[in-house]
Amino acid sequence: MSDHQSSSKMPLSPTGLGLRLVPSGIGLHKLSALLTLVLLIVAFSFTSPAFLTMNNGLTVLLQTSVIGLLAIGMTLVIITGGIDLSVGSVLALSGVVAGLTIKAGLPILPAMALGIAAGALCGFLNGLVITKMRITPFVATLGMMMIARGVALQLTGAAPISRLGDAFGTLGNGSFFRIVEMQANGFPKVVFPGIPYPAVLLIVMALAGGFLLQRRQIGRHIFSVGSNEEAARLSGVNVDRTKIWAYTASGALAGLAGMVLMSRLVTVQPNEGVMYELDAIAASVIGGASLMGGVGGISGSMIGAFIIGVLRNGLNMAGTSAFIQQIIIGIVVIGAVYIDQIRNRN
Amino acid sequence: MLDVTAQNAPLVHMSEIYKHFGGIHAVEGVSVDLYPGEVVGVLGHNGAGKSCLMRILSGAMLPSGGKIFVNGEQADLKSPQDAKGYGIETIYQTLALANHLDAAQNLFLGRELKTRFGNLDDARMQSEAQEALRQLNPNFRNLKDPVAKLSGGQRQVIAIARAIYFQAKVLIMDEPTAALGPSETAMVADLTMRLKNEGIGIFLISHDMHDVFDLCDRVMVMNKGRNVGAFRIEDVNKDDILSLIVKGALPDDWTPRGGSK
Repeated sequence: MSDHQSSSKMPLSPTGLGLRLVPSGIGLHKLSALLTLVLLIVAFSFTSPAFLTMNNGLTVLLQTSVIGLLAIGMTLVIITGGIDLSVGSVLALSGVVAGLTIKAGLPILPAMALGIAAGALCGFLNGLVITKMRITPFVATLGMMMIARGVALQLTGAAPISRLGDAFGTLGNGSFFRIVEMQANGFPKVVFPGIPYPAVLLIVMALAGGFLLQRRQIGRHIFSVGSNEEAARLSGVNVDRTKIWAYTASGALAGLAGMVLMSRLVTVQPNEGVMYELDAIAASVIGGASLMGGVGGISGSMIGAFIIGVLRNGLNMAGTSAFIQQIIIGIVVIGAVYIDQIRNRN
Repeated sequence: MLDVTAQNAPLVHMSEIYKHFGGIHAVEGVSVDLYPGEVVGVLGHNGAGKSCLMRILSGAMLPSGGKIFVNGEQADLKSPQDAKGYGIETIYQTLALANHLDAAQNLFLGRELKTRFGNLDDARMQSEAQEALRQLNPNFRNLKDPVAKLSGGQRQVIAIARAIYFQAKVLIMDEPTAALGPSETAMVADLTMRLKNEGIGIFLISHDMHDVFDLCDRVMVMNKGRNVGAFRIEDVNKDDILSLIVKGALPDDWTPRGGSK
């Protein structure tokens, strides 16, 4: 993030003059994504009067938090040059693990921690299969996608787990600074709906992810592995460890996203999260991550996640059918990857 | 280093190194020594096994058999980190640079400088890299560009700076001038002599006979995975070396030339 911005502020060198346009292209990509987001918001404000309201804004924030959390992990993995197709299924399995352990009598917090740990374990296994068995990330995580979904369905008999208690719903439905006034007629009036916990969680995790990627050694190594794996290895980077780390983080974040989603529903649904991985990949790519590896950033991916969130929400508000929505988002994903291709050709 | 016995002990002794890939014997029982302050040329056809041998020494490849001694002690070089731990640095022919990272990020890749809190100390890495690169090339300016945007010469300078910044004792240079223009080639030659005079032992892989005769103290020729001859540079001429490279044997009428170039 900061790297790309600072590079464009460097004084121009005589030889670098003509090449200067390309590095700023990464920033340009992010800028164009941001512009797209603003345009979408403006456009939807006209199609539906209820779109540009405080309440709907917070709804978008809430809806995007799950995709956003997945996109953070996905971005780490994509920068290493890999892909994680398993996050949607891992999200469901994590929820199932949390739900079953709550049913078995465990308090909410340790149960949720176990759910996240289950997600991390799935990610860790992805990493092991990819690095030790030398199976391509696409195939390895496709396998995990089916395995995790199968385990989630098998454990629950494909039935949702409900009656988990009100406390289970706090993470997904609670909010900070919620102001409710009692009216004279005895009905409560919501003055300010509050900042939902999931949105705060997303911001915290995005900042943490960005910090890791830009300021810590592991982040530097993630970029180096995606940029040139052999060079990273010869330079003394532990390539396998770096990849396993990225996939484990992706799994753990999928677990966390699972907690948020299931908590919001106050029910564990083993069928939840199907195709969420595609939204997460789309968010990362729209935000400037390259599927070839070595390029990407958390801030861009967050913009990408909000583009998808706003698109979904705005199309809903405008009364567009779910089928048309799929078509539009499909086109957006292809468009984003096409932009990525053009950038690589340059 | 001033100790007499230390001077007599080779810096590196590779003994009976073998490397097999399935049925292909890339390196077959090759032994070679390297002493402090000398340049040993490693010559041979493409596929003669010289890169293989050097990759084994740099920890990038595990040997199928044989032993490596560094300063008389047996060294187990399982990874590039291990080799770097022994002061063995390598300038790879491919340069081994991560294209999306800038010069400083590449120079410190795998050995990042950190602040007290374990964060990356990019400011210090930038200034150290700037210093190291300017020593090699005073015109080096594009420090914050991804190295993909730099010229071949600049990329080479980064690869060299990375090898010498960390106080190499043994330097492996794989075709260091293949991508360079004449002035940069001269710079690399100067640098090689300077490092040699500082007591660093250098293995030089090169196809350029000029470089070999200008820089090397000894040469070792490989042919089909075997060491077919190791000589002091005074004892051979260009034709002898070419004969070794091509035929794997010296000309029939060969006698040590004893300094007559």
